[in-house]
Amino acid sequence: MSEKQESKPQNGGEEIRIGVYVCHCGLNIAGSVDCDEVAKFAATLPNVVLAKDNRYTCSDQGQEIMKSDIREQKLNRVVVASCSPRLHESTFRKACEEAGLNKYLFEMANIREHCSWVHLHDREAATEKAKDLVKMAVAKVALLQPAEEVEVPINRKTLVIGGGVAGIQASLDLADTGYKVYLVEKEPSIGGMMARIDKTFPTMDCSICILAPKMSDVLHHPNIELLTNSEVVEVKGYVGNFQAKVLKKPRYVTKDCSACNDCTEVCPIIAPNEFDVGLDIRHAIYTPFAQAVPSTYTIDMNLCLNKDNVIVCDKCIKACERQAINFEMKPENVELEIGTIIVAIGADVFDPSVLPNYGYGRHTNVITSLEFERLINAGGPSGGHLIRPSDMQVPKRVAFVQCVGSRTDRNGRLYCSNVCCMNTIKDSLLIKEHWPETEIYVFYVDIRAHGKGFEDLYKRARKEGVKFIRGLPAKILEDKKTHNLWLIGENTLQKELYKMNVDMAVLSIGLEPRRNSEIVQRLLTLSRTQDGFFMEAHPKLRPVDAATGGMFFAGCAEAPKDIKDSVTQASAAAARAGILMAKGKVTVEAITPISYPEKCKACGLCTKVCPYNAITLDKELQQIKIVEAACGGCGTCAAECPFGALTQSHFTDEQILAQIDAVTEYDSEKKIVAFCCNWCAYAGADFAGVNRMQYPPNVRIIRTMCSGRVAPKFVERAFARGASVVLVAGCHPGDCHYINANNHTKDRVERLWKKMEQSGLDKERLQLLWASAAEGERFASKIREIQTIIKRVTPEEIHKAKRVFEKALEGV
Amino acid sequence: MPERIRHAPLGNKKVKQPNAEVHIITDQCKGCGFCIKFCPKKVLEESQEINARGVHPPKILDESKCIICSFCTAVCPDFAIFVVEKPCKEERHIKHD
Amino acid sequence: MDAEETIISKEDLERLLDVDKLKYCNECGICTASCAIAELLEEDYNPRRLLEKIFLNPNNVLASDELWLCAWCYSCYRHCPQALKLPEIFLFMRKSATEHGLMQPLEKALKKIVENVPLPLVTTFVCFHPDRAGLEMEKISEKIERMREEYLKKEKRKRTVKTSGEKIAIIGSGPAGLTVAYESSRKGYGVTIFEALSEPGGMLGKCIPKYRLPKHVLTKEIEFIKNLGVEIRTSVKVGKDLDFKDLWKKGYKAIFVGTGVHKSQKLKIEGRDLKDVVHALDFLWKVNSDKKTEVGRNVVVIGGGNVAIDAAETAIRLGAEEVTILYRRSKEEMPANPWEIKEAEHEGVKIEFLVAPKKILEDNGNVYAVECVRMQLSELDETGRRKPIPIVGSEFIRETDMIILAIGEAPDLEFLPKEIELNENGTIWVNPITMETSLRGVFAGGDVVTGPATVIEAIRDGKRVAESVENYLKSLAG
Ligand SMILES: Cc1cc2nc3c(=O)[nH]c(=O)nc-3n(C[C@H](O)[C@H](O)[C@H](O)COP(=O)(O)OP(=O)(O)OC[C@H]3O[C@@H](n4cnc5c(N)ncnc54)[C@H](O)[C@@H]3O)c2cc1C
Ligand SMILES: Cc1cc2nc3c(=O)[nH]c(=O)nc-3n(C[C@H](O)[C@H](O)[C@H](O)COP(=O)(O)OP(=O)(O)OC[C@H]3O[C@@H](n4cnc5c(N)ncnc54)[C@H](O)[C@@H]3O)c2cc1C
Ligand code: SF4
Ligand code: SF4
Ligand code: SF4
Ligand code: SF4
Repeated sequence: MSEKQESKPQNGGEEIRIGVYVCHCGLNIAGSVDCDEVAKFAATLPNVVLAKDNRYTCSDQGQEIMKSDIREQKLNRVVVASCSPRLHESTFRKACEEAGLNKYLFEMANIREHCSWVHLHDREAATEKAKDLVKMAVAKVALLQPAEEVEVPINRKTLVIGGGVAGIQASLDLADTGYKVYLVEKEPSIGGMMARIDKTFPTMDCSICILAPKMSDVLHHPNIELLTNSEVVEVKGYVGNFQAKVLKKPRYVTKDCSACNDCTEVCPIIAPNEFDVGLDIRHAIYTPFAQAVPSTYTIDMNLCLNKDNVIVCDKCIKACERQAINFEMKPENVELEIGTIIVAIGADVFDPSVLPNYGYGRHTNVITSLEFERLINAGGPSGGHLIRPSDMQVPKRVAFVQCVGSRTDRNGRLYCSNVCCMNTIKDSLLIKEHWPETEIYVFYVDIRAHGKGFEDLYKRARKEGVKFIRGLPAKILEDKKTHNLWLIGENTLQKELYKMNVDMAVLSIGLEPRRNSEIVQRLLTLSRTQDGFFMEAHPKLRPVDAATGGMFFAGCAEAPKDIKDSVTQASAAAARAGILMAKGKVTVEAITPISYPEKCKACGLCTKVCPYNAITLDKELQQIKIVEAACGGCGTCAAECPFGALTQSHFTDEQILAQIDAVTEYDSEKKIVAFCCNWCAYAGADFAGVNRMQYPPNVRIIRTMCSGRVAPKFVERAFARGASVVLVAGCHPGDCHYINANNHTKDRVERLWKKMEQSGLDKERLQLLWASAAEGERFASKIREIQTIIKRVTPEEIHKAKRVFEKALEGV
Repeated sequence: MPERIRHAPLGNKKVKQPNAEVHIITDQCKGCGFCIKFCPKKVLEESQEINARGVHPPKILDESKCIICSFCTAVCPDFAIFVVEKPCKEERHIKHD
Repeated sequence: MDAEETIISKEDLERLLDVDKLKYCNECGICTASCAIAELLEEDYNPRRLLEKIFLNPNNVLASDELWLCAWCYSCYRHCPQALKLPEIFLFMRKSATEHGLMQPLEKALKKIVENVPLPLVTTFVCFHPDRAGLEMEKISEKIERMREEYLKKEKRKRTVKTSGEKIAIIGSGPAGLTVAYESSRKGYGVTIFEALSEPGGMLGKCIPKYRLPKHVLTKEIEFIKNLGVEIRTSVKVGKDLDFKDLWKKGYKAIFVGTGVHKSQKLKIEGRDLKDVVHALDFLWKVNSDKKTEVGRNVVVIGGGNVAIDAAETAIRLGAEEVTILYRRSKEEMPANPWEIKEAEHEGVKIEFLVAPKKILEDNGNVYAVECVRMQLSELDETGRRKPIPIVGSEFIRETDMIILAIGEAPDLEFLPKEIELNENGTIWVNPITMETSLRGVFAGGDVVTGPATVIEAIRDGKRVAESVENYLKSLAG
């Protein structure tokens, strides 16, 4: 391919003039790709009138060059070969627009995340791959069509899920700005973790004293509607126009409740109070804690004697002077129309009973740091007297064990939980404040006091005589007679073994993702990192945005953090949601379906696969109708239509086939043609790049919005053109960003497998991968794994597939 | 709250627990078994004894579990059972099972 | 250090470091605190520090005796938050040292073992394992014997044993009992060991296969201890032939219980009483007592501990054509030492994970198959392991003509006075520092306290006990 091919006039006679910009990205790309060579190669491609390489295409200067070229050279298509479109597509599209070019006439070739960063040590192969990627982009861009985006109004209301300090702060900020907020909390009261802790580091403020006023502000704010005892059960729609269903569980106590506590006095049922981690008791009718908001009591129907509407016990009814108890209450389904969603569901604490060496759950005087918070809290089960559970005496020697469940590869979490070091320091000072004679030992591996004021607090603890010993205990053993504990470990600074006898041990447990986060993730089609916390759109530049438009994160739902960071992030999330709503409208990307009515046979298959019911079949007219605003943009309908009567704009059949043809132009028998969905698999491959995970360079990725867009004919075309292996990759089932469109991916791949088997082909040559945006390694190892398949694919096998799928070469 | 509960309540709180005395008028019972079936705390069970009406009247299984809801009195068609509250001698320490 | 001087190649090291995640050690010290050797040789051995030295400069470590002191108990691995397999990292270094003929450090290590570890010969075979680095055991054991004689001569010259009249009774002659006997008699106490079996040595003689521990090695070790003046009374079962009261009456001032775990746990499935179904301990015992032992052609071993592994290997050595271990959890959960698993697989033992037996099928009283069910793992439970849950409908039949059950052992403690408190799992509770039971004057150690563990841990317990017995007897004297 050295000779310049003739540019053919296309698209109704207009001459296609493509400009290609190959970016060095400093040394990020140029370090392992010969950019100059790639640019020279690009210049030889059809319709390319200009090809340049430059250091930073995204810089002002780089963009200026592009703009003036568009104007002066009359470019009507632009390709930038640089980083991931997930990063800079919008930047370059804007530049095109500024130069008067429709932004849909732009295409990117991802030669950084998908090329230079993952083939750091093979310059030659990386350069070849970059050329292919550019060729694919050029082939596609020539077929792109200008498009206008539809604008839809935004609903100026927000749904905040989770009423911890983060959810509270975000709600208040938005409500104060003037937006309507629905705050949904699954417990009977808002407050979250912060309501349960005693003092807060580093300032040692009383936690509930600073939180309670905010909780009450939430209750009284005219713009906030508080839904406690409630859970979000369904979310539909898209940015600016979500519809949510909230299940509001009955409290069986009406708003008339004055929180007089008369009912609990008579209720005969006793159970552990979860708010106090079971260290205190509550009744079937209860309020979790004194400052609860709303203060209305709740009846726990799992405990109450009255089941199935049979009133067996009427003690509380009789005791309640205000007649606030009502067993007739039913669960309510509340339907909300909102424009933005903030997820603030917080984090759970680690359960140390899975660590048998520490004896938690067996040794009475081994407690967790959360239990400690309740014990030292004046409103807690012991009225703020630090007592140990075995004999209710004040312990004289207390040990804290750090990193329990954190920073471990075994029965715990790999990450540092961020708050437990400072929490222990705080706790040790609280003990010293009231019982200065107490001997306190902190067993740690690193003390991480990184925040403002943290080091001071650490010094204070040292000054107060708290002893810090480096080295975690290997075991905690109990003396059966006294219930005292022995901690056995190595002081790694002194390099000697210790056997420490203490009265009580506090396990500094880490934070882990909410056990229900999977449900929330599915409801909102979000991504989570490998740690299990929600994943932000960009770790540096969009730290509170979800990848899905219109959704934001606040607090520990995104990663373990302290109160200050939770509040900061909540205000940021509120601001981000506010910006979106202040604009009042969003544009919907022009990636909706295009139909060719003359080909449509009114079979209705497309209407069945559309996850948004955006296509309806008019039986009388024998025609389909597309509701663009409802369309999510997955393209599954286009993949399903057997007659080619539907295609997806900006991802048309012709465009994708052109990309496939470009990949398979030469050496196809060594290559993997990969179709990756934008949200998970493509992003996962980006993640592999960011983390420099190396994998073999023979894969060429074609991006679709959803793996549901991958029509069987694409796979067949790749095989017909001699590709060795085809990979279809999407989000894990259930994580699909288009509700469930990837179910169809699975069906289609399975049908293809069957077909291959029947035709005597090696069905392993078609691979299906579910990989999330965080699973870069999963993607990379898949590519490595595929190499063994490629090795065994013989020329005969390739040839056979070519014959079997011959038909796919027809058309376009 | 999602935490698994591992410790018994501290038990330094005193709770007034009902102190019930269940009275069964054995010979008035017609053996319908409603009281046994509906008692929410399963205080009663059928006895082996045969009463004047030739049926098995209920007997008390564990009186300390009774919470004096008096539902048995309410469901008994023949007014054969009633509960009275004895004065509470002292507030009992809670024990959680 | 110069490139020329480097003995361990960078690639090898990288591989080692990556494979074993060695770089992730965060120096918490848990390994050292759970290591028996680190307690026995506190001055000389610290696995965490050794690992750090390897990390900083592996070549320096080759010349250190520390490298040869790890006793392969994997206690560190079981506790390490990063799940680092220290013994295998050390083995890599040992091999490098052997390859380069750096044998001086081994000598030094052996000397330390002789001076500090009561059963140096036995432990060299079943714990320290210089053989795994390719060394010849016979030569090493001869060396140890020589060293021991020298050491004793030197010691005799040094100290004059104060003979106090007190007598100590030891129940059980396993490594724990022998250690207490050795240490206490050197301190000058009169020691009698009561052993239920006809041969002393506990598991060492009864069940540990001879290919691991040759008979003559054990005999030498026991002879040596007898020569110190320890009386060993075999075929005396405490609880049957005599009881605690008798012991106190006979004037023993302290009693040590080191009776190990010998009661095989029962499998609760149909067909377990058939004649081709045997318990692993019984099987190994029979083999070790030189009785003719028949082994099936196609043997199935049920269990996942070291005992299962040894039984399987023994069955192969006896001529079984196929031996398969069925274990109901996955490889990570397997309690057997990772190295032993590797060795067994090397010997031809097959291991199937996530499989549990449901029923043993018979034909005329002969086992012909076992019905199994596949399992899946639950969330972590209290014991820090995942519970296996049967997968409904995944039953399958596996043919076999002999089944060896190795599903765990428990102590048999009927003979203990009631005052002695037990743990939830049936082992004896002791004060972890003094090893005293809840009955004054009675001490316990070894498997009977820890549950099935290793020889070196039994020895560590024994040493602790000997020390506290001394303190106790001194305190009695006033
Ligand atoms: C023992 C301990 C001590 C601490 N001490 C300090 C300290 O001294 N100083 C400090 O700065 N930080 C401290 N922290 C950290 C602090 O608690 C958190 O930073 C803070 O509470 C996070 O707030 P949040 O709103 O993100 O989450 P949370 O407080 O956990 O609130 C989340 C809320 O969401 C609700 N929710 C969950 N799932 C759903 C759902 N599906 N639908 C509706 N609602 C849902 C929960 O019920 C909860 O109310 C401590 C943490 C612990 C565990
Ligand atoms: C098959 C097998 C292989 C093993 N391989 C190894 C290995 O390679 N390396 C390693 O380090 N460890 C190994 N072990 C573990 C090791 O053998 C034990 O941890 C160790 O022997 C425990 O020592 P002990 O002194 O506590 O008890 P034991 O060795 O069990 O000794 C207890 C003794 O007490 C006697 N006894 C019991 N009850 C009474 C009574 N009432 N009266 C009198 N005497 C009584 C018993 O007969 C027995 O002789 C193995 C164990 C088994 C079963
Ligand atoms: S009706 Fe239920 S909540 Fe009310 S007192 Fe009786 S048991 Fe308690
Ligand atoms: S904050 Fe401290 S205690 Fe918590 S995981 Fe991190 S280092 Fe460990
Ligand atoms: S236990 Fe593991 S992490 Fe801790 S010091 Fe030892 S090797 Fe390192
Ligand atoms: S294997 Fe055993 S002896 Fe070796 S370092 Fe680990 S704990 Fe110590």
